[in-house]
Amino acid sequence: MQWFKSAVDWLCNPPILFTLIFILFFVAFLWRRVFWIWTPRAALILFGLGAAFVAFGITDPNFRLIVSKPDNVPIVGMLFLVGFFTWLSMYLGLKNDERLAKSLPPEEKLESEIKILVWPDLVYTEMLCMILWSVLLIVWSIYLKAPIEEPANPAKTPNPSKAPWYFLGLQEMLVYYDPWIAGVLLPGLIIVGLMALPYIDPNKKGNGYYTFFERKWEILTFQFGFLVLWVMMIITGTFFRGPNQNFFGPFEHWDVHKLVPLSNINLSEVIWVKLFNVGLPTNWLVRESFGILLVVAYFALIPMLLGRTLFRPFFEKMGMVRYQILIFLLLCMVSLPIKMYLRWLFNMHYVVAIPEYFFNI
Amino acid sequence: MAAPPKKSLFTQIREGQVWNSIFRHGPPDNTRNRSLAVLTNVFLHLHPVKVRKSGLRLKYTWCAGGTTFFLFLVETITGLLLMFYYRPTSEYAFSDILDLRSQVPLGIMREIHRWGAHAMVIAVWLHMLRVFMTGSYKPPREFNWNIGVLLLVLTLLLSFTGYLLPWDQLAMWAVTVGSNMARATPFLGNEGPGAALLRVGDISLVHAGDDARFALLAGRFVGSGALLRFYVLHCVGIPLVAAVLMAVHFWRVRKDGGISGPL
Amino acid sequence: MPDEIKAGAAPPPTPAAPAAPAASAAPGVTRRGFLTWIGVAWASFSGAMGVASLSTLRYFFPNVLFEPPQTFKAGFPEEYIAGQVDNRFKESFGVFMVRDEKTLYALKAVCTHLGCTPNWLEAEFKFKCPCHGSGFYMSGINFEGPAPRPLERYRIVTAEDGQILVDKTKIYREEKGEWQDPESFIAT
Repeated sequence: MQWFKSAVDWLCNPPILFTLIFILFFVAFLWRRVFWIWTPRAALILFGLGAAFVAFGITDPNFRLIVSKPDNVPIVGMLFLVGFFTWLSMYLGLKNDERLAKSLPPEEKLESEIKILVWPDLVYTEMLCMILWSVLLIVWSIYLKAPIEEPANPAKTPNPSKAPWYFLGLQEMLVYYDPWIAGVLLPGLIIVGLMALPYIDPNKKGNGYYTFFERKWEILTFQFGFLVLWVMMIITGTFFRGPNQNFFGPFEHWDVHKLVPLSNINLSEVIWVKLFNVGLPTNWLVRESFGILLVVAYFALIPMLLGRTLFRPFFEKMGMVRYQILIFLLLCMVSLPIKMYLRWLFNMHYVVAIPEYFFNI
Repeated sequence: MAAPPKKSLFTQIREGQVWNSIFRHGPPDNTRNRSLAVLTNVFLHLHPVKVRKSGLRLKYTWCAGGTTFFLFLVETITGLLLMFYYRPTSEYAFSDILDLRSQVPLGIMREIHRWGAHAMVIAVWLHMLRVFMTGSYKPPREFNWNIGVLLLVLTLLLSFTGYLLPWDQLAMWAVTVGSNMARATPFLGNEGPGAALLRVGDISLVHAGDDARFALLAGRFVGSGALLRFYVLHCVGIPLVAAVLMAVHFWRVRKDGGISGPL
Repeated sequence: MPDEIKAGAAPPPTPAAPAAPAASAAPGVTRRGFLTWIGVAWASFSGAMGVASLSTLRYFFPNVLFEPPQTFKAGFPEEYIAGQVDNRFKESFGVFMVRDEKTLYALKAVCTHLGCTPNWLEAEFKFKCPCHGSGFYMSGINFEGPAPRPLERYRIVTAEDGQILVDKTKIYREEKGEWQDPESFIAT
């Protein structure tokens, strides 16, 4: 089985893993030929494979060590829950789409006119839910002790040092972006973007029932942000980041002395030193002019180009203000994968590096 | 003269003054009394008397929002019980956490609180996923979606502030890394872009002793001040705000037409 | 006054024309005068609210901090071996004492990325931060990982008794060219 473990370790390397995930994501949500994966049978097979993989992994000491960390157990659970509910919403949505294609109302419509008494129907459902959750929490708490490490010591940083698991997506962004972007700007934009969502979504369809094709682009955008850039980043940060924030495959031993050469280089160095063969200019504005131009172009030219071509229908439906907000948020979201690839392919550290003013992009 | 038939004790209680002063309706075995059961009870009054059948389906709602609220209640109760034993100072905090396991009966209170917190974070995400996938943020529910986003952020902040309280290495360094991001806030953090521009002559207005991170930690690094500040935020500050927003959230669900359904 | 009206909240709704010259209204109250007073009232109310909010914000910044002393004596320069990083004050004061061929300097043991404490790896001859993998040369210059700038140096001077005095209240940053400052190192 060693070859399998090595293969998995290799596949989990962030550049390869995320490239795979990007491809898989768009295939699963856009290529109609493979939509059988949203059927119950395929879900059972996928669940079986996932469970088998975890069961097989538990036999490996390194894998077991990471997965059975008390704080990581809920994440394994979350993986299966998020997978299941994503599948469920897609399954129900596609079922409704078939009905809509035959100009039948969505399935929810059949029961939405019927009114049911809250007592007994709803309160009993709620009570069952509460009892189930209570039992689950108590059993979980008996079998799994909450972690407690050594007393706090300001002089000794544990290796690795990680944020709480639900922020590990943000911590993973810190590998590619500076704290002011990964820790302040992007989280702020996530919140702003979520709040702006109802106001920039021009689509009036799909209100109150599951559907996919009536809301394809919204679902794609949201799920890309949620599944890939949030959940997958958490998975990476939790299971694949070891000592010194180095990458470790799930079956790899967490070796503190693992040497990974990180020789990152700024755009300004590439241009001035490697292309022009001159030293870095001392004036920061001259030094970073190319990077600044690039960033400005990214946020100014692309919206215009897209508005005239690919996004024209959106632009006409939404109007200027809504379109600009949407495209800005989208560009910020897509900038993360772009920065990841720049790092993996060219060791790009900063596009704009002005450490004098703590301004690095 | 036949004596009146003996009533069972149960019936006597049901017809007695005490019972009827509390429950002002008969047994809920007909529509009228079932409506009254919801109408005359302050807790059940969260609900309308009747709801759409489609909104009752578990496959539609996944009960994610209700689960989140229930877990919030679990966290409130277990958190309150933990407060009886826990002292938020750097001398006592760590040993109090250890004592909770070894010296206190029913030594799983901390576990329930911690796992409940993890479960609540996951439940909130699933609730958001469900609301998105059913398009339940669309008119007329835009405002309530926004309240929901705020509640999601508050849930994460509740978890984050609670993370420091055990005062062990895990807690301290997670919060060090987390709060250092506040240091990078543009203009408000001493290492954020723009902070270097806020100077009067030779004196910088934003430095390690007066920036956003300082307000969070009550000091220049994670120490006793930070522990107390996080404790107050975790136990009182954020839960109060969250409770207010939850009240708005539930009220708006009803005002916007209950659980969403096809128009 | 008109600019003060802008400072308040929404402008007060213009009252409809009085149905009749109200007898209760004091003589001499004109419509314009009334609006001016409303403006003044709103402006003072907003001002008071603003001051109250700022005072509450100020409440979160205590005047006294209980933190360890900011200066310490670090022995004599001869105690440090050239070409080595000394960890003796890392735990107590968060300082690496580093001596190279010509100079002795005090590096602040705080990673410039997100404030973890880097470790000196003797075998690899570099500082390595355990949080996000930033690496620094012995001089404190960053060369790998996410750290945006070199480690900072503390002010270091020779006290009257010949001992080294490290003063943590003043830091010197390389990217600002401050490492040329004579107080950022001691020549040995």
